[in-house]
Amino acid sequence: MSPEKPVADVIRSEHAREEGDHHAPGTFVLVLVLLFTFAVYYFANWKALADVWQVR
Amino acid sequence: MTTGTIDIGLAPGDASRGAAAPQKPAGNHPAGALRTCDTTGLPVCLVAQQFIKLHAVVAVVFLLVGGIAAILLALTRWPAVHLLPAEWYYRILTLHGLNMLIFWILFFEVAILYFASTSLLNSRLASKGVAWAGFALMLVGALMVDVTILQGKADVLMTSYVPLRGDPLFYLGIILVAVGTLTGVFNFFATLWIAKRDRTYEGSMPLVTFGALAAGIIATVTLLHGAIVAIPTFLWSLDLMHQPDAAWYRLVWWGLGHQSQQVNVTAMVSVWYFLATITTGAKPLNQAVCRGAFVLYILFINLASAHHLLVDPGVNAGWKIWNTSYAMYLAVLASMIHGFTVPASVEVAMRKKGFTKGLFGWLAAAPWKNPGFSAFFLSLAIFGFIGGITGVTLGTEQINIIAHNTLRIPGHFHATVVGGTTLAFMGLTYYVVPLIFQREYRARAVARLQPYIFAAGIVLMSMGMSFAGSYGVPRRHWDIEFTGAQFSHGFDPGAHVMLGLLGLGGTLAFVGLLTFILLTVTAVFFGPSNKGRAMTAW
Amino acid sequence: MSIYSPAQDWFKAPSGGERAWIGLALLWCVVLTLAMPYWHFKGKQNSTGESYAVEPMKFMERVDRFVQTNKVGEEMGTAVVEPSPGGDAYLQAQMWRWSPILKLRKGQTYRLHISSLDLQHGFSLQPVNMNFQVLPGYDHVLTVTPTEAGEYHIICNEYCGIGHHTMTGKIIVDE
Repeated sequence: MSPEKPVADVIRSEHAREEGDHHAPGTFVLVLVLLFTFAVYYFANWKALADVWQVR
Repeated sequence: MTTGTIDIGLAPGDASRGAAAPQKPAGNHPAGALRTCDTTGLPVCLVAQQFIKLHAVVAVVFLLVGGIAAILLALTRWPAVHLLPAEWYYRILTLHGLNMLIFWILFFEVAILYFASTSLLNSRLASKGVAWAGFALMLVGALMVDVTILQGKADVLMTSYVPLRGDPLFYLGIILVAVGTLTGVFNFFATLWIAKRDRTYEGSMPLVTFGALAAGIIATVTLLHGAIVAIPTFLWSLDLMHQPDAAWYRLVWWGLGHQSQQVNVTAMVSVWYFLATITTGAKPLNQAVCRGAFVLYILFINLASAHHLLVDPGVNAGWKIWNTSYAMYLAVLASMIHGFTVPASVEVAMRKKGFTKGLFGWLAAAPWKNPGFSAFFLSLAIFGFIGGITGVTLGTEQINIIAHNTLRIPGHFHATVVGGTTLAFMGLTYYVVPLIFQREYRARAVARLQPYIFAAGIVLMSMGMSFAGSYGVPRRHWDIEFTGAQFSHGFDPGAHVMLGLLGLGGTLAFVGLLTFILLTVTAVFFGPSNKGRAMTAW
Repeated sequence: MSIYSPAQDWFKAPSGGERAWIGLALLWCVVLTLAMPYWHFKGKQNSTGESYAVEPMKFMERVDRFVQTNKVGEEMGTAVVEPSPGGDAYLQAQMWRWSPILKLRKGQTYRLHISSLDLQHGFSLQPVNMNFQVLPGYDHVLTVTPTEAGEYHIICNEYCGIGHHTMTGKIIVDE
């Protein structure tokens, strides 16, 4: 097994990259899934709250 | 290396660097106090390295103590097992909280601060003496707390809500840990200052260091709250002062208690950026956005402590709503921003390498066999999908009525602090050991599997806790069968299923934790040395 | 690059997907922010934190007076008390019991005063699952309206010493 390289390699390859390319459609879908899950859980909790005794 | 002025011609900005390992302006290291990392090309201050090792080793020891406590608790809350007697359940619960949430994480964080301010800035550590002082204070304090708890003199749980009263040594120990940590944080600030003064780097500090700085600032505010609340309580425990007011104590204690978790969040996000870079070559998309999000943490996260007082007397609805909305949601925004920029930076880096197939080809091709990557990405997912969503929901003033002090609360914070912070720190350790200790891991196939075992355990446990809590099962409670109580309450059978899930998940997570500790201890003490060459790639 | 100093001109506005996500997240935070005041005025469940300073001994005297005036029975040594609808009701927390047993009517509103004589306690009404903090020195007033008849238990969900898990009480709601 050649030890070395990979870590240094990934950093270098990254370094050579040009600025400005921010194309990340997969991540955008992932965060939309997060937001959807968030909203479902959040509103389900308001619903559960509405079912308990009234209190002020 | 000599101290000197910067050679402007080298222009160490990102864009202008070539393919060679980046050369920095001269550091400020005394002769013989520096080595260059054979893997990353980063400069390593040997004094800082010594303290990173010390803090990391002690952190892992406390992780083990907290972990043994954790499995005892999980097996007690699992009604089918109900392992510990009541007295020991509450005692071990006190031990677990302090060792995991405070000692393990604080020691590890000081190590991170020392790394981020030296290696990443090409600077020496500001003071060896201060580092020793901070370390000694923390260690003595932590041992004092643990011994007092195990002697049965402080069965007051981590929060030690007055009028519950523990032995004075318990409070003194906590004060020493806080002062010791502040000393370490001060050393970190001092290092940032000398690096700036000696111009060891050019332009702005790296993002990871910036995140560490945010964590350091929040830690300072947090620990000051700790001093404000712990000193009067300590004096009261010695009968030198009247008893602190219960509501005042809760308000200030949570300035310590919840805010310290924001230190963890901030440190964890910095670790995400670091691991994303080192495992996939990811580069932050937009530095202004990432840094801006860290600034939001510094400015707005402090009032998350109001979350613990949402169903308290003594504070009115206006106060509760104000403190959970204006401030909190800007901090939530910050987390949502990091939740996008971190995976997006990985996606962009992977696409650049040619993994452009479909929406998720980059994700499928990610280095899942690298425990540094898998721990980081699982941490990101667990923190966001379970920890974040539950946290914001529970922190809504009115919704807190159906959640306060139920198992939903530990269900939330085990997803943030354990599935999030601890898992990210584990991922980092898979690089700290080969790069700082210069020792290789053995049993690498097991190491590749470890983050998955731990993550699966924590997910099951958090879900078990959260759903049991939705049935009303209380946290910090030895017996939900209420044996010997005047009125016996029976919970829905569904709650018992969920508590079984808690027990199974807890056991699985413990297996993952123990695997991590065994692998790491073996590597540190018996692993093959990699001095003089690069680490074996994961 | 997260581990090196960025290029000098790093301060840029976000663009593309990043910009869209920040906008979306901000919008969601606005929804979160508005939900609480909305519920405060329109919702039926709120934690107003209405409370008054009270010495534990004084509170105990008020509870005793309340029990003497409104007692309707006894169960397992604990008084069963029926407050008048619309009036004040008292609940006392101490290591390790809730007293007295309250008998309420469905749909009626009560001003329920809760305080502790010793440590902090957690009022947890089951199986409805409503939870409020109880502190010594603070008379926590909950203006409650039971919405369903039945027998309910109060458990303690704030650690209050070795007998914490045996601290239970009862509320009966009649039609």
